[in-house]
Amino acid sequence: MPIRVRLDRILLERRMSLSELADRVGVTVANLTILKTGKARAVRFSTLEALCRELGCQPGDIVAYEPGPSDDFDEDGTDG
Amino acid sequence: MRALGPGSVSSFLKTILDVVFVALSIGAGAGALLSLAAMVVVANPTLLDATAAADLKAQGLSGPSLIIGLAAASLYMALVLVIVGRLRRIFATLTAGDPFQPENIRRLRVIGVMLAVLEIGRYPLAALYAWLAPREAGAHASLNPTAWFAVLVVFVLAEVFREGARLRREAELTI
Repeated sequence: MPIRVRLDRILLERRMSLSELADRVGVTVANLTILKTGKARAVRFSTLEALCRELGCQPGDIVAYEPGPSDDFDEDGTDG
Repeated sequence: MRALGPGSVSSFLKTILDVVFVALSIGAGAGALLSLAAMVVVANPTLLDATAAADLKAQGLSGPSLIIGLAAASLYMALVLVIVGRLRRIFATLTAGDPFQPENIRRLRVIGVMLAVLEIGRYPLAALYAWLAPREAGAHASLNPTAWFAVLVVFVLAEVFREGARLRREAELTI
């Protein structure tokens, strides 16, 4: 996916753990891990808003576009 | 009454499919055994008593026609068994309340292919049967538009499930 999530870098800069952010944002650690590892297909504005609020940053600090192949739906249940 | 989930119409249909599956398994097994028995009898006609042999002859049934008939019936039941088996698994996902699983796409495609194979196989079999047992009526090799319509509907349904599975996957990965 050409959209890169830079959550780990921001967390490192803020010296905040993933579970702490999950508590503050109201998202499960599992879902935040999906987002952090770039496996998420979409982010709700409400989640993005909460992330920006708690991390004190802009949406552009969390996500970035890097040209690359798009992921298509795979019938095996994985994203290729 | 609910259509999906435990205690729903799907769960009732799943139970019916389970019963049909067991009955078909027994039928296909019995058919295969009968075909083997018929082959043995044809190879060794002395095993058949004179009355039974005369009965078969009176009905215009020859040994090869009997073997082909029984083998075809077993094969037919085996193919229907594959269809019912896949349907059972699809209905299990409906009963669980989660129909848009990627496996259901493949199951529906298999059902579509099996329906097509059954329909295509019917034509040469009917011709062969008419040739081997000309006195037997009932073997018609006419085109069945309903069967082909069903085949197309199943393939379209498979694509609908594909789209459903894709949306489900997206919903799962929306944070």
